[in-house]
Amino acid sequence: MEFDLAYLVRWLPALLRGLSLTVQASALAVLFSIVIGLVGASIRVAKVPVLSHIIAAYVELIRNTPILVQLFFIFFGLPTLGLTLSLFASGVLCLTLWAGAFQIENVRGGLAAIAPGLKEAARALGLTQAQYLRLVGLPLAIRVGLPSMLNTCVSVIKNSAYLSAIGIQELTGVAFDRIASDFRAFEMLAVLLVGYLSVVLSLSFAVRLLEHRLQAPFRR
Amino acid sequence: MNLIIENLPLLWIGLKATLSLALVTLLASSAIGVVLGSLATLKPKPLRVAVALYVETFRDIPLIVTIFTIFFGAPFVGVPLEPFPAVALGLSLWGGANASEIVRAGITSVPAGQTEAARALGLHTAKIYLLILWPQATRAVLPAYTGLLALLFQSTSLGALVGVTEFLKAGGLIIERSTVMLGVNPSFQIYGVVLAVYFVISSGLSLLSRWLERRLAKGGTRAVVAAPDAASL
Repeated sequence: MEFDLAYLVRWLPALLRGLSLTVQASALAVLFSIVIGLVGASIRVAKVPVLSHIIAAYVELIRNTPILVQLFFIFFGLPTLGLTLSLFASGVLCLTLWAGAFQIENVRGGLAAIAPGLKEAARALGLTQAQYLRLVGLPLAIRVGLPSMLNTCVSVIKNSAYLSAIGIQELTGVAFDRIASDFRAFEMLAVLLVGYLSVVLSLSFAVRLLEHRLQAPFRR
Repeated sequence: MNLIIENLPLLWIGLKATLSLALVTLLASSAIGVVLGSLATLKPKPLRVAVALYVETFRDIPLIVTIFTIFFGAPFVGVPLEPFPAVALGLSLWGGANASEIVRAGITSVPAGQTEAARALGLHTAKIYLLILWPQATRAVLPAYTGLLALLFQSTSLGALVGVTEFLKAGGLIIERSTVMLGVNPSFQIYGVVLAVYFVISSGLSLLSRWLERRLAKGGTRAVVAAPDAASL
């Protein structure tokens, strides 16, 4: 079978709509998950009773279960309890919960890397735990943890492909729908390959550049 | 609860498929990983570039796209694949990419003096790998490797999307049956149980990985940290 450019052009608008859904879902999930990461890591580090344990359990649950099962649980399971979400909202919720758990660990790693002297100094100056986190801890932790936080964001884009499993017409969903109904594979597979590789590679490259820049003050 | 007890045989069939998928892909990934990971530590640059290209490609394309491509693309090149081998192949290519990185990091973690001493004793490259590098690398990569197994185990759930009756699919079948025959939709309970089972097995593997890391540290071996983050899915 030949590679048919005209076929690709015909379906370009649909593919672009798919890509736009991929980007929208990923962007929302990235945004919410960073909030979860900052709040969750602060609660963990401040050792807030009960809450801190709930967050630890949440992180373990997400890390040790397949994201596909999480997605099915949210999309098929929650409505039977009367909690019905739209298709798109279920997808975003799933990606957010998944990424949130990893962002908590990323921020926590950043907080753990802060020299103990800084924390002691903050305490000596009379800062409360919350003030320490807001003014000293989190700004530094974000700087240290930024590369791994961004890696998690890249993974969100890759994982958004899972949303096609519940019928969200994002990039992967659109492409495989065409393959199934037109019996042509090469064009759409090429689009997926080029699409994901270019997005992920360029973002990974940006992460590496940033990592290099952030290391600057510590380089001789 | 009754529903689960009645359907235990089906769940067991699913779990068996999940476990065998994980085992098969672990073996295949290891084969790919040992070969490519070792090649990547050899001198010739084209070799290293080729391995890096393979690793990056399969780590950067979403796993679900890789598996769909193999399953739906195979008939177009004239070799239609059954669901199980298609998923096994996709997972192995992805697992192989991660395993290569782990093996490469493991071999590089062996101090250079070891290779130099072996060379001074007159061992040739093949023997250096067989007798010096691989045995020491094996210890260092064990925690990361256990982590990879946990991820492979989780990723087998993708089989449900192309028709492998693995654990997730078995759960889905129970829900369908119950919805059609009894008129009740037990999605919450069944997917809850499915989540719980994945959680127990996977966190067991995670605990094992952490324990191995502590043990190796006690023996003075620095474990390789190239553990594939679940974020590399």
